[in-house]
Amino acid sequence: MFEPPVQRLVDELARLPGIGRKSAQRLAFHLLNAEETDAVRLADAITSMRREVRLCTRCFNVTAEEECSICRDLRRDTSIVCVVERAQDIPVIEKTGEFSGRYHVLGGAISPIEGIGPDQLRARELLDRIDAENITEVIVAANPTLEGDATAMFLARMLKPLGVKVTRLASGLPVGGDLDYADEITLGRALSGRKEL
Amino acid sequence: MHLSWLELTEVRCYETLRFEPDPGVNVLVGSNGAGKTSILESVAYLGLLRSFRGTPDEAIVRSGEENAVIRGEFEIESGTVRVEVEIPRSGRRRVLVNGKRPTRNRDVMAQVPIVAFQPDDLDLVKRGPGLRRAYLDDLAAQLWPQAGAVQQDYDRAVRQRNTLLKQAGRGADGVTLDVWDERVATAGAAVYRHRMDVLEALDAAIGEAYRLVGERGALTWSYTTNWGGDPQGENVERLQGALLERRPRDMDQRVTSAGPHRDDPSLVVDGRPARTMASQGEQRTVALAMRVAAYRVLAARRSMQPILLLDDVFSELDATHTRGVMSLLDDGQVLVTSAREDEVPAIGRRWIADGRNIR
Ligand SMILES: [Zn+2]
Repeated sequence: MFEPPVQRLVDELARLPGIGRKSAQRLAFHLLNAEETDAVRLADAITSMRREVRLCTRCFNVTAEEECSICRDLRRDTSIVCVVERAQDIPVIEKTGEFSGRYHVLGGAISPIEGIGPDQLRARELLDRIDAENITEVIVAANPTLEGDATAMFLARMLKPLGVKVTRLASGLPVGGDLDYADEITLGRALSGRKEL
Repeated sequence: MHLSWLELTEVRCYETLRFEPDPGVNVLVGSNGAGKTSILESVAYLGLLRSFRGTPDEAIVRSGEENAVIRGEFEIESGTVRVEVEIPRSGRRRVLVNGKRPTRNRDVMAQVPIVAFQPDDLDLVKRGPGLRRAYLDDLAAQLWPQAGAVQQDYDRAVRQRNTLLKQAGRGADGVTLDVWDERVATAGAAVYRHRMDVLEALDAAIGEAYRLVGERGALTWSYTTNWGGDPQGENVERLQGALLERRPRDMDQRVTSAGPHRDDPSLVVDGRPARTMASQGEQRTVALAMRVAAYRVLAARRSMQPILLLDDVFSELDATHTRGVMSLLDDGQVLVTSAREDEVPAIGRRWIADGRNIR
């Protein structure tokens, strides 16, 4: 145990993903020994991100406005939606230049082991968008994992009765990892070669 | 293929250990508790990703320590493969192959094929079907990288479905169950297909191995499923149908009752189930033949000789059986342990283990 103010920071840092006990201590002592302005700038970046950023009311992407820049872009094709697990997958797909529709951030994938079922995801919100936005195709770009496949299957079951074309990225993506494991070219190819579920 | 070096940190009795075996035969001698088996267990762990003693991972961590690390480098035809495993007392272990996390851990099995013989192998014959399923799955994963991947998917899909059943029982959402049935069936059919391919590869090898260890009877496999698996047919729909049919029962019992994880592979000697054979000696010979057959199938189908680990097997074998095992040793790497030096055929390099070091 360290002095309470240090220990508090160590505890908070250790809660971050990928940061173990030892790294948390190293980071805490780094901040303790750094210039005070450096530490304040970091704290300020965290609080202002939390204050200024919110979720797009339409697609749940991160944004500083009511709607994100993609949803506000009038040149985008509104009849086609790409479903991703997390907001950080959107720039990965944007970089391919192969997709010109809008997005929908599901918030994860179906995984009973992690306590995630359809109700814990934004599946209902996607369903509501179909009619409201005249969506005709949904591309499921969930991660190429078992849970991502199950989620794609679930969405297909939910949306096909509404006459929506549901597609999944073509295989060729590195299996088992996150979407951003794939390079742009592979991902672009998977997008253009998508298959109907 | 051979192991060039092995490094242990806080593994079983070892604080640290570095071991550089010869590419040929290595005989590790030492009294009980001198840590010879821990060295073989560690080598096997790098290729099979579990303890061959059947103990849980935390038993590998030296007492009083938090983490065990097993590292080793293998020389293969196309270069070297370094496998590193960090095993915490609690929590997830970490596997690195050439410094990178493999997409799926079981990918490692095809890269460094290892066959281990040990006294507990008797359980392969004597005990329930779980160990025999693992025997077939391990061999499939060592032969075909994609087999290891679908096995891992299947395990996880069954666990996902079971968790859903446990959480919700009769209240489980039908569409979500449909989705998991589909995943279980797709991966399950692939697991079954690989097991059938392994059985085909073993078909001639197992009988031959039985003769090689000095027996005259006919040793064959029998394989039954509770979901109608058909070696000649398409099995995704079959398994999906069985899951749907059993759904009410599965919802009540909150567990997935059909599928390759419940299949029953067994061994038959001259038409009699090996499990019910009278003598332990006869059963031990069947187990020995299973390992010999695995070694021969791997050596024949892969362009490299697997590493052979023989943990204290000679004390249990008579001269005929010992000759059978020794006939396997041509040019591959072999690690043998024994408590008594005179019990081991006098070949290869001798190492003495004393519980702290090996030299
Ligand atoms: Zn948006």
